[in-house]
Amino acid sequence: MAEGTGKPDLKVKVDKTLAASIVLHVLVIGWGLVSFSTKAFVMPEEDTVAVDVISSDQLSRAMAGQKDGKKENPKPLVEKVAEAKPVDDAVGKIDDKKPPVVTDTAPAPTPKVEKPEDKKPDPPKKVENKPKEEPKPVEKKPDPVKPDPIAEAIKKEEKKPPKPVAQAAKPPPEQKPKDRVFDKSKIAELLDKRDPTRASMTGDTLNANAALGTSKGKAADNSATWGAMFRQQVEVCWKNKPYGGLDAQRPEVAIDIRLKRDGGLEGMPVLDGTPSTPYARAYAESAMRAIIQCQPYRLPAAFFEEWKSFTPVFQEKPL
Amino acid sequence: MSSSDKLREKLFRPDRREMMSGMAALVAASTFGARGALAQKRITITEGEFAPVPIAIPNFSAGTPGDAEVGVGVAQVITNNLKRSGLFAPIDQAAYLEKQVNIDAPPNLNNWKSINAQALVVGRMTRQANGRVKAEFRLWDVNTGQQLAGNAFETSAEYWRRIAHIISDQIYERMTGEKGYFDTRVVFVDESGAAQRRVKRLALMDQDGANVRYLTRGSDLVLTPRFSPTTQEITYMEFGQGDPRVYLLNIETGQREIVGNFPGMSFSPRFSPDGQRIIMSLQQGGNSNLFVMDLRSKAMTRLTDTPAIDTSPSYAPDGSRLCFESDRGGKPQIYVMPGTGGAAQRISFGDGSYSTPVWSPRGDYIAFTKQGGGQFAIGIMKTDGSGERILTSGFHNEGPTFAPNGRVVMFFRDPGGNSGPSLFTVDVSGRNELRVPTPGFASDPAWSPLLS
Repeated sequence: MAEGTGKPDLKVKVDKTLAASIVLHVLVIGWGLVSFSTKAFVMPEEDTVAVDVISSDQLSRAMAGQKDGKKENPKPLVEKVAEAKPVDDAVGKIDDKKPPVVTDTAPAPTPKVEKPEDKKPDPPKKVENKPKEEPKPVEKKPDPVKPDPIAEAIKKEEKKPPKPVAQAAKPPPEQKPKDRVFDKSKIAELLDKRDPTRASMTGDTLNANAALGTSKGKAADNSATWGAMFRQQVEVCWKNKPYGGLDAQRPEVAIDIRLKRDGGLEGMPVLDGTPSTPYARAYAESAMRAIIQCQPYRLPAAFFEEWKSFTPVFQEKPL
Repeated sequence: MSSSDKLREKLFRPDRREMMSGMAALVAASTFGARGALAQKRITITEGEFAPVPIAIPNFSAGTPGDAEVGVGVAQVITNNLKRSGLFAPIDQAAYLEKQVNIDAPPNLNNWKSINAQALVVGRMTRQANGRVKAEFRLWDVNTGQQLAGNAFETSAEYWRRIAHIISDQIYERMTGEKGYFDTRVVFVDESGAAQRRVKRLALMDQDGANVRYLTRGSDLVLTPRFSPTTQEITYMEFGQGDPRVYLLNIETGQREIVGNFPGMSFSPRFSPDGQRIIMSLQQGGNSNLFVMDLRSKAMTRLTDTPAIDTSPSYAPDGSRLCFESDRGGKPQIYVMPGTGGAAQRISFGDGSYSTPVWSPRGDYIAFTKQGGGQFAIGIMKTDGSGERILTSGFHNEGPTFAPNGRVVMFFRDPGGNSGPSLFTVDVSGRNELRVPTPGFASDPAWSPLLS
């Protein structure tokens, strides 16, 4: 229709923003494809660690140290990583924050000591201001303060009957000691406010099991626990020990026994030695009867290794 | 003895295989036992309780059909003896799973464990061709299965009670480690008739009250009979014609004689531990002193010379010392002095007065009658006067005498009123007070030593 030229208009109208968007997307996605795809998503391998659940008494036993523990831990006890410093007192509270305090005399925390007075009846405070000043020079002894206010309060009560009655609203708890009121706000009073007395044991690595394998360690021993249980059970059966009268010999009879896991006797109990008198023999036999009669014994299975073989000793109570 | 050994041999002769295994076990036990003992934990047990030992005593089986009755009788006497001692609790025969137990085989212990018996007595009575009777017994520990004792005796048939007492003693001794006291007798004053006209006769009986025999006719008043520790003789005081005198009586022959011939009263006699001498009080005016007379030479030795009443002497078992009662300090108290005389030391210091001291045959205690606060008590104290312990107390208790093992005290108690006295036993611990059966009223008991 157009003359002469008759050329169709090939020029397409391209939206510039769309083109920019496409280009940007291609760029971003293309970069992402390149950069993320190169690394495989693999977890690094880790060492497996065996974990045992132990009871608190087993822990305390381990901490107590064992004579027969392995001597693979020759390092001293260390509670904090720092430059190693000898600490004399290995008990008491540990101070983690402050530098180690050598003695507890240096700081004089007078205000702290005053606190308990809050519990005391208020009147003395008002009446006596001077005593408050006094304690400062006297390092931290609140004792001289207390008696005075109380004495004053008593005097005051004697002198002025009407007022003290009003003021004595707080003292009544003293007159009625039966009513023990639980005051939550005073829980803080129960806290140990003493300053730490020692610094952490320091060293280059932490080590909490210093006692293991040391020569001063004890053999694993829970006989206080299962021994008491055994004693309690066998005493019930040891009914007819022969009566020896006032001047009887005081025999002592030791009997070796071996127990099975169920607490029953593995074999006949074996008497240590031979009784020297008819009375000692009767005494030993009464103990033997008691041991046999009372089985099976209910003892903690955890300590079986200790009680599978032991020696009950029967004897007269010292007069 | 020999027959029991034979029995034991027959029962327990092991064959060779048993012996080998037994020896192997022994070796193993000794080596492992010794090594194990080094590291053994020792658990100390001190708190036993006191309770009598449950013991099963089935009727003794009869060796011949005619012996069933005596077999039952022996078991009953043993049961009664052990029960009265307070240290045994015989189990009622009705609970037994086995009524008759064969003595020739180890018993089925489970039958006895299940009724909670700790010891088992099995026995047999067999009439012999010569008319005598043979008694066999075994004592078993039910828990360990061990035979603790076993024995055989032969005796005339009428002494079967004595056999039962001897077996009781052997069981008691094996189980407690102390000598028994069942094969003993007691001499006492039998009292009969109205309170105003009491007839008092010396009487003798077994410690369990059986076989009572009267030794005097009752025409004269008798008091304080005492057994000889070595012979079948009794010394006592009798009011004959005139002053009361100390007499000596042989209970086998019935022969009797006056001990010494003194002016005035002689009283409260007692034998020395060797049985060769009699110690007694002789009246001298208003006072009395202690003398000892040698029975063979009839020689008298003075032991005390005080202006006081010294009486009731009793030797320690070794004869080195003696205790007696004296009012030299005002009230009657107990004193101890050397056996040959000398300085006496007062040992009783409690409230009230102390009398009739008697030294335990075991040597550890002195028993006494204590009077105070309107009460008469029987008590014991150590020989130095410490550790006084009152065993019984009441309106009237008096005259303690020890069983030969020193474990039991016999005394007499008079409840007052129209009633009369009777005999009681009590353990030195103060437990187990029991009345002793007597045909009538009874007082002044004295325990014999063990007969066997």
